[in-house]
Amino acid sequence: MNRIIDLGLLFSTTGPYHLMGQASRLGALKAIAQVNADRSLDFAFRAVERDPGGDIDAYAPLCEDILKSSAARHVVGCTTSWSRKEVIPSLERMGGFLWYPTPYEGFEASDRVVYAHACPNQHLLPLLDHCFAAYGQRLYLTGSNYIWGWEMNRIAREASDRGGADVLGERYIPIGSTDIARLIDEIAALKPDFVLNQLIGSSQYAFLEAMADLRLRDPVFSEGHCPILSCNMTEAELPAIGAAAEGVISAGPWFRKLAPALPGNEGREDFGSSFEAVSHGSVMMLARLLASSPDAETASLPELLALPDAATLGISARTHHLTLPVAITQVRNGAFVPIKTYAPIEGDPYLTRTQTPVVLPLIKVVI
Amino acid sequence: MRRRLSIPDLGGARAEILHRPHASVAALTRQLQAVGLLVECHWPDLPAAARAADYLFIDVDTAHDDQFPWEPGEAPLPTIALIGYEAPGRIEWLMNFVADAQILKPVGDNGVYSALLIARATFDARIGLAGEIDALRRRLGQRQTVVQAVALLAARGKTEDEAYAQLRGMAMAWRVSFEDAAEAGALWLRDHHAGRGGRCFRPEYRAICAGRTTVRRADTVW
Repeated sequence: MNRIIDLGLLFSTTGPYHLMGQASRLGALKAIAQVNADRSLDFAFRAVERDPGGDIDAYAPLCEDILKSSAARHVVGCTTSWSRKEVIPSLERMGGFLWYPTPYEGFEASDRVVYAHACPNQHLLPLLDHCFAAYGQRLYLTGSNYIWGWEMNRIAREASDRGGADVLGERYIPIGSTDIARLIDEIAALKPDFVLNQLIGSSQYAFLEAMADLRLRDPVFSEGHCPILSCNMTEAELPAIGAAAEGVISAGPWFRKLAPALPGNEGREDFGSSFEAVSHGSVMMLARLLASSPDAETASLPELLALPDAATLGISARTHHLTLPVAITQVRNGAFVPIKTYAPIEGDPYLTRTQTPVVLPLIKVVI
Repeated sequence: MRRRLSIPDLGGARAEILHRPHASVAALTRQLQAVGLLVECHWPDLPAAARAADYLFIDVDTAHDDQFPWEPGEAPLPTIALIGYEAPGRIEWLMNFVADAQILKPVGDNGVYSALLIARATFDARIGLAGEIDALRRRLGQRQTVVQAVALLAARGKTEDEAYAQLRGMAMAWRVSFEDAAEAGALWLRDHHAGRGGRCFRPEYRAICAGRTTVRRADTVW
C-alpha cells in the first residue's frame, strides 16, 4: 500500500505580503498534486496547512501545531526572514525541518532549514555590479524596517565601499506603513543614480507610486533615469503594482518565459513567478529524496542531504543552500524582460567564497 | 562614536578546537564549515603550530594553563570560550586566560558566526589598546625628560614658553613626538654643556637650537 506522508505548509495568504505567500503556497500545492499523480512514487503527500495571516507571533505556534497534530516532519513555508527565524527554535524543539522558498539576506545555515531561493551572491551582488556599470556610482538605500532590509543594505554599503561607490542616504519604513513622503523628498533632493529598494508589500507599492509621480514632475527622474532596484519583486506582485512598476530592475533565479526553470522543477515552466517555481521545486526535491529509501520520512534533513541525490539536485550538504542561476530583468510593458543572465552559482550565505558569476546569455527566452 | 564592524575574511580561515571528541565539537565543526572555515580538532594539548591559526575554541570546563604554548592572558589569536559549567572557579580561570567571545554549551545550531565576528573585533581592539597603552606609558616615562630639556634650554636664556615652542618646532621638523624631540634635545644639550660635542648629529636640531628654522652649511659640519 502507498505511504501517506504529511507535509506542512505555513504561508500567509492574507496580510501585508499575502501575494508572495499565495504564490509560494500555489507552487507547493502544484507539486503535491504532481507527486500524488506520479505512479512511479510509492507515496503521496498530504498537505497540513496553517495560515499565520502575516502575524509574526502566529508563525512559531502554528509551526508547532503542524508538527504536533500531524506526522509531518517537513514544513514548506515562511516568506519573511523574521518569520523563518521565529520558527527555527520550534523546529529544533519538535524535530521538524523547514524548506524556505523565498529570497533572503544570507548569514544563516541552520541544520534544520533548506534555503531554496537566492541569497545575496545570487541576487544583490550581481544586481549591484550591473547597476554600478550601467547607471553610476551614487546610490540610495531604502527598505522595510527589519532584518531583510537592514542586512541587504549593509551588504550593499560594503560592496559600495569596495567599489568606490557613494551611498547618498539610507532610510527605513515600518512594515505595512505607506508614509513615504520624507523618503521621496530625500531621493528628489539627493538625485542618486539608482535606488536600492528592500521595501516589502504595501510600503513598496506606495513607494513605487510616489516615484512614478516624481518622474512626471522632475525631469531628472524621467524615464530611463534613476531606476529602482529590487531583489524580491516578481510577477506575483506585478498586477498589484501596475504601471508604477515600469522600469524596476529585479534580480532573481527565474522569471517567466526563462527556460529551463529551476532545480527540482523537472522541466516544468508553468509558474507565475520564482516564488511559485521555488516552492514547487522544494516539494519536488523533497519527494525525490524521500523516494530514495523506504523509511526516508524518518531521516533527518542532514541525512537526506547527505544522499547523492541531494548533490545532483544542487543542494549543498555543507550550507543547505542551492546552486541557482541568476537573471537580471527590467519591467517593460508589464513583464520582466531579461537584461543579463548568469550560469548557476552556488549559494554562499556568509559571502566567504570568491566566485565570479559567469555571464551566460544562453538561457532561452520562450516567446 | 559608532563602530563600523569590519567583517573578517572567513573563507578558508583556520579554526582550531581544543576539546575532547564530543557532540558539541561536531555541531561546532558543522557551523564553522558552513561559514567556510577549515577546522582542526586537538586534544589534550594544543600544538605550537596552532599559534598561526585564525581562531581558537577552548573548552573552559576542562582547560588548564599547561595545555597552551603561551602564558595566560597572552593568546596570540582570537579565542572563543566554550562554557558548560558556570562554576565561579572555571569563570575565574577564564578571566585570567582571557577569551574574546564565548558560546554556551551544548553547542547547537547557531551562535558560531557571531562569536567569530565578536572575537575578531575584540581581539583586534585588545591588541590595538595594548599598543596604545604601551605608547602612553612610554610617553609618561618621558615626562621627566621634557622637564629636563626645558630646564636646559632655559639655562641658555630662553623663557619656559620659548623652550616649549622650540621643542615643538623640533618635533615637527623631525616628525617625531614632542617627548622624543625633548629626549634627543636634552641629550644633545647635556653633552654640549659637558663639552663633548654632542651625540645628536641632526643638522635640523642644531639649526633649531640656534634659533633658526633653516639649516645652514655650518650645521652639517662637525
